[in-house]
Amino acid sequence: MATVSVGNARPRRAQGRVVAITGACTYLGTELIKRLEEDRRYAKVLVLDVKAPAILAAGTTKARFFPIDLTQPTIDGDIATLLQREQVDTVVHGAFLSHPTHATEWAHEFEDVGTMHVMNACAAAGPARVVMVSTTMAYGAHPENPNFLDERAELRGHQDSRFINDKVRAEKQAARFAREHPHVQVATLRFAPILGPTINNLHTRFFSRVTAPVMAGHDPLMQFVHEQDAAWALKRAVDSDAVGPFNIVGKGVLPYTTVLALMGRVPVPLPFLLARSIAKALWATQIVSTAPSLLDYLLYVCVADGSRATRDLGFTARFSIKRTILDFVGASPEDGATDVASSFA
Amino acid sequence: MPPDDTDPIADDLGAPDASHAPDGDWPSMADDVYLGGDAELASGDSYDPYPAAGDTDEGAEQRELERRVDEGRTPVYPLDDRRRLPLPGLWRRWRAFAMRGRADMVDDFGRDPIATARWEWVLDFLYSKWFRTEVRGLEHVPAHGRAILIANHAGSLPYDSAMLLHAIRRDHPSRRDVRPLVEDAVFHLPWLGPLMNRIGGVRACPENAVRLLEKDELIAVFPEGVKGMSKLWRDRYRLQRFGRGGFVKLALKTGAPIIPVAVIGAEEALPLLGRVTWFAKSVGLPYVPVTPTFPWLGPAGLLPLPSKWKIAFGPPIDLAGEYGAAAAEDRLLVGRLAEQIRGQVQAMVDDLRR
Repeated sequence: MATVSVGNARPRRAQGRVVAITGACTYLGTELIKRLEEDRRYAKVLVLDVKAPAILAAGTTKARFFPIDLTQPTIDGDIATLLQREQVDTVVHGAFLSHPTHATEWAHEFEDVGTMHVMNACAAAGPARVVMVSTTMAYGAHPENPNFLDERAELRGHQDSRFINDKVRAEKQAARFAREHPHVQVATLRFAPILGPTINNLHTRFFSRVTAPVMAGHDPLMQFVHEQDAAWALKRAVDSDAVGPFNIVGKGVLPYTTVLALMGRVPVPLPFLLARSIAKALWATQIVSTAPSLLDYLLYVCVADGSRATRDLGFTARFSIKRTILDFVGASPEDGATDVASSFA
Repeated sequence: MPPDDTDPIADDLGAPDASHAPDGDWPSMADDVYLGGDAELASGDSYDPYPAAGDTDEGAEQRELERRVDEGRTPVYPLDDRRRLPLPGLWRRWRAFAMRGRADMVDDFGRDPIATARWEWVLDFLYSKWFRTEVRGLEHVPAHGRAILIANHAGSLPYDSAMLLHAIRRDHPSRRDVRPLVEDAVFHLPWLGPLMNRIGGVRACPENAVRLLEKDELIAVFPEGVKGMSKLWRDRYRLQRFGRGGFVKLALKTGAPIIPVAVIGAEEALPLLGRVTWFAKSVGLPYVPVTPTFPWLGPAGLLPLPSKWKIAFGPPIDLAGEYGAAAAEDRLLVGRLAEQIRGQVQAMVDDLRR
């Protein structure tokens, strides 16, 4: 049984729930709005973002847009007022960048300080449940990582990646909020890199290029989650009572070079030191927006264990990593790929 | 599963699914959602696991999802959004070319069955022709269930773990796979580390070992670690300290029997005359080995000399049955047991040399 009973009281309504979503324009935010629109247990959806997501124009009945810019200094008061006035019982905080940016100062204001504002607003308005979106990249790619990191593993981030470390700091704020407000259910979903035909993020942009750098002699295992699985997991987290961090991962792992081969990309082997210098130069000249520190994820394994989400959240990925990759590139399974079964026949 | 009337949140889309549990074998495609074909794209269907408004049936959500999974349907997207590259014919051919020699499914720890099969003949040549390996006591290795092989370690490259792995895969009636735990210094070596990983090696750390044993795998531990591999020629056959007894704790916690293994021959295959450390740190190696052939002959010097190898397996030792799982916290006992097993492996090595 997936639903867990939590010790604290649940003042949340069973019917007619009201959900507020920050970062509604992201893939996950938009998909969550779609799913909440279709679920009759939810009465109202507050869409908080700087611009209205396209789905609102398509005609929604429950969703209402409120322009909120998380980087504004007193926005926490505005959000708190809104949460109280609309009697929001669930806050979904998904306003995070899916790709590094050169505007690192702004990114810090948006992710780290923005999370502070959301948490302050939650502390003032007291919703019953807070769901936050995070990433398994926050564990960091380190040579001493075990093959599967579970939720108890430390979030070590990366020593000089602001993109990753802002997310680690946001998670720490959520954890502190959960400690200080034990009556509020706080769940954090750490998504493995999300791939899919429609989502646009760091990984889909990286893998959309014809060539991809390979750290010569290194071939870590990689893990992805399909965009539909990810959206389903987020919906389950909003429905559920489970608290704490959850790794949301797909089925199976593959070595990085096999991922590239399955996608039909051309690997460019580079020694790590050379690759880092090139990446730094490209980053400094703003030719690419992929931060050099992310090369560590091509050196060392950063794979998470999703069994806690299966146990407590009732989420099990429905797509294997192979299907996820093939769905991403739009190929059918017979399309030139080898198969274990046929090779041993 | 009956719907829970008191709590509508409790209606569950799917009970935690056994297919997700890491069950030791290759991930199965059978339970994967599969897009039936482009014919279905025309239906304009979208992912809709939730019932339409007005539907008051609590179980409808789950039934709808099950129906979609049964029918093998996935979300449908406009084809324009897909990330194919230009020149689809060339792309497809390149992909088929790139996938040669590698499988599109690996197990949880990264063993690739096609790469394994591809390297099989190399291992087999080394094992039977080059090293002319003699094996004794294979009957002590269980055909199934968890167990820990504890072996001595020598030779500057991990040829001994490859031979141990191949001995059981080739000569044991169960043909079961050994998962050797590989120390970091080797696991992160360029090319060698990933190769070890593809043919079954796993990075040595307690989390990985516990996970493997809980899946009832057979793991091989070399408690001497890098200290064992970097033994000089004059110290050959003299076992080094057995780590910090982590393997004893592992055996006590997981209830896996310990099977002592003695391997001789690795010492002579790459006799280590000296270790150069001042240069090695800058290239990320623990040391640069100096053997009669390396570095004088370049990379070819890392090929092993044709020494005669012998591998002996001892009777299993059931530590957990004797001391109980709680004994893992008793540092003194763990240290004593580790030393006792080291003595046993040392005695087996001495016995093989006679």
